[in-house]
This record gives sequence, structure tokens and C-alpha cells, in this order.
Amino acid sequence: MSDTTVETPEIARGEVILKIDQLCKSYGKLDVLRGIDLEIKKGEVICVLGPSGSGKSTMLRCLNLLETPTKGTIELKGDAVFDGSKPKNLDDLRRETGMVFQSFNLFPNMSAKQNVSIAQIRVRGRKKAEADQRAVEELTKVGLAEKVDEYPDRLSGGQQQRVAIARALAMDPEIMLFDEVTSALDPELVKGVLDVMRGLADSGMTMICVTHEIGFAREVADRVIFMDGGYIVEQGPPKDVLDNPKEERTQRFLGLVLDH
Amino acid sequence: MEQFFNTYFDFSIMGDYFGDVLQGFWWTLRLSLFGGAFALMWGLILAVLRQLPGRAFAPVRWIVIAYIDCLRGIPLLLTIYLIYGGLGTLQAQGAIPQWLGLPEYFGWPSAFWYGVLALTLTYGAYMAEVYRAGIESVPRGQMEAARSLGMSHGQAMRFVIVPQAVRRVIPPLLNDFIALMKDTSLVSVISLPEAVLVGSDIYSTTFNPSALTLGAIMFLVVTLPLARLVDWQIKKQDEKFQRGMA
Repeated sequence: MSDTTVETPEIARGEVILKIDQLCKSYGKLDVLRGIDLEIKKGEVICVLGPSGSGKSTMLRCLNLLETPTKGTIELKGDAVFDGSKPKNLDDLRRETGMVFQSFNLFPNMSAKQNVSIAQIRVRGRKKAEADQRAVEELTKVGLAEKVDEYPDRLSGGQQQRVAIARALAMDPEIMLFDEVTSALDPELVKGVLDVMRGLADSGMTMICVTHEIGFAREVADRVIFMDGGYIVEQGPPKDVLDNPKEERTQRFLGLVLDH
Repeated sequence: MEQFFNTYFDFSIMGDYFGDVLQGFWWTLRLSLFGGAFALMWGLILAVLRQLPGRAFAPVRWIVIAYIDCLRGIPLLLTIYLIYGGLGTLQAQGAIPQWLGLPEYFGWPSAFWYGVLALTLTYGAYMAEVYRAGIESVPRGQMEAARSLGMSHGQAMRFVIVPQAVRRVIPPLLNDFIALMKDTSLVSVISLPEAVLVGSDIYSTTFNPSALTLGAIMFLVVTLPLARLVDWQIKKQDEKFQRGMA
């Protein structure tokens, strides 16, 4: 599993990279996703909004198959990675998607640098020296050049989250998934993380961000998706969805979120 | 009071037999170290097998669970007798090779190795449960983060989950080790002259239990510091938890 053996077709900016079709997820009798259709183009930045319980995090977790969908299909660059019953090419999918979690999930038994290099070595098959060098580069990019040897318990939440972003980016993913990555942070630490994400969006990374940061969505997103009750209720450019929502449910949600 | 003292702490008997009891205790220590080391490894193997994911591994999980339940449900004394009563016979019939049926590594008697095997099988089951608690106490997000980076289940266990789990269960594992050390005395029933057997042999010639007291003191010399070590480890971990990470 070294870099040279990974053969994935190059996809031009603007072409569909990830396509999901009629995606459903239930836990027993509880239907969390009730048929999601979505096409994501390379370089696109998508922000997913919605009340809690709307299924937005579940959708994100289905995209890299941390949750196995109940129905529907997922295609990555035209190849099926989920065919309606079981995952296929799971390794390809996970290699192409980086994920950042609300609760950071850094490995507490490793330094920041080791956090960023371990999967490069074990999954990408890079040499330790190469992986460490890349780790330092990525940590420097997120403003943590001085913290490479610190352990997670010595870092603030914002710093931990930036290490988590560096860890995902070091794997050279095609798509980055962000699951409410600022929700667990103290207010003064949010900006540092959003700045990193903004920079990433500017660099052309394909991003799907489940977020409550309306300002960030307005400024950075190419497309805003509003979800409720397991459906995509409304989607479009931020100025449409955020400033002139057509659907009543979107209007009500935005009214509640923006009224304070 | 004087009678009590003369009965349990007869220094002349303790002095005369000190070398014999110490030799017995040396077997006790070797049983503990070999049994303990193997049980630590065997327990971890069992715990990891029990955590294998997916439907394909369900039979493995069932077998492991059945094994753990059975070995924990049988007295160690009985397991020792079963091994002692079976392996030698099977070897004599040619059903199993000599390295298993009549082991004498390092020139030590088969009874010693039967004891090590029994301790490993039983305490491996106990320790597997301790490891399991440790593995299950690692937050789910750790496995998810590892898998989302493309690691396999095995890689995630090896590099992320197990190192954290083991650190958390050091105190209970040490407790199990103390229990194991005391249970080595059961191997006396298959004539391994460990501290308790030596002490009771001396008792039957002198009619005075002071050699047994001496054995008890030797146990305490090892187990009391271990008990303190457990407390110190727990305190250290509590402080770590209070800082917000473990």
C-alpha cells in the first residue's frame, strides 16, 4: 500500500467526484435519513445546516461509511463504494476522504507529530522520516510549528482540532468531511479553526462541512444544504438559501439561529 | 501470649529451616513470574479475539467467550488436577508430544510446567476480562478516527486502542497478579515443593507452624509493595483524569 500503487483517475475541477443516490439510514424503527440525493463536484465547498436530529451528521458519517447506510448507493469518481447492501472498495473510499470530528479524537498516546504521521506510515506506506517531515509541514500550515512534540493533553481544544485537520490532510484526501468541528470549542478558539478551513477552501479542497457557523457558510460555501427530518429540504448558493429561503422550515430555522 | 508467640514465631525453627522455605519460595516466585507473564499475553490475545468485528468472526467470539466463562467458572485447583491427570497419560499413550505432555524445560519438573499452564489458562481468562474493560473504556471516537484515516481494524487496535487500554488497566492487572501469586500455592497438590508445601512438610515433622509463618512473611515481602504500587498507580491515573485526559 505505497503511494505509487494508488491508482485513482485524475478528476478535473467541477466534475462530479462523489455521488449519492437515495441514501437511507435507519436505526431499528427510527429513520434518520429518508432518501438523500447529492452530487459533489471537485473543488466544491458545501455547508450542511439543520436542527439537531435532522440527520446531517449521520449523512456525513455515511459518506465515508463509518455508518453503513440501510439503502441507497454511493459512488466515488464513478466507482461504487456502496451498492445498497455492503461497502466495496472501502480502503479507496477512506483513503480519499479525510474526516474531522466534533470531539477532535486525537490519539492521546501520541505526540502531535505522531498523530499526523502514524496513518501516513501504516496506511500510505511512507517512510517514517518522510511522514515526519510531512507532519511538521502540515502542522506548520495550521500554525502549530512549535507544538509538534506536545501531547494532546497539553494542547487547547482549538489546537487539538487543528492537529486533527493536519492529520487528515497529511493523507492527501480528495474530499474533507467536517463534522461540527467548532461546536466543542470555546468561543475564542473558533476563529483559529475556521481560518484554517477558510484557507483550505481557498486552496481548492473539496469540502463538506456540517456546521452551525452561519457566517462561515455565507462567506465560504459554494452551496448550502438545509436538512430537516432526514431530507434535504433546500439547497443552493448561500445568498439564496441563507438570505432568501424558499421553504418555511428553512425560514423558521434561520430565524431561530440568527435571532440572537 | 507467650504460647502464641512460641507457636507461630519459633525463631529457632525459622532459623533452622530458613533455607528450605526460601527454596520453596523460589519455586513460588518462578511460578508467579512464568504464570503471570504467560497469562498477561494469553489474556490480551483472548481480549483482542473477542473484539474482532463483523459477522464472519462471530464463531471466534463465541468460542472465546465460552472459554473465558468456563475457565473462570472452574476452581483453579480442579484445572491443575485435570492437567496433571491428563497430559502425562496422553503423552504416555502417544497422543501428544513430549514437550506438551511431560515438559521439563530448564530441567524443571513437569509439575512446575503443569502449574504454569493451569495458572496461564485460568488467569488468562481473568485478565482477558480486565483487558476487555480497558478496551471498551477507550472512547468510540478513537476507533472511528483511526478507521477514517484508512487503518484496518487490526491496525487501529494495535496502534491506537490497545496501547491506551493497557495503560488504563495496569492497576487491576497488578491485582490479578497478586491473586495469581497467592494461588501458586495450589500447585502444591501435584507435589511441587513451593513455599506452602515445604512449610507444611516442616510442620509435620516439627509439629510447629513457624515455617509456615516464615512462608507467609516471604509472601508479604512481595505482595505488600505490590499492593502499594497498585494504589500509587490508581492515584496517578486519577490525577491524570482530573487534568482531563487519560
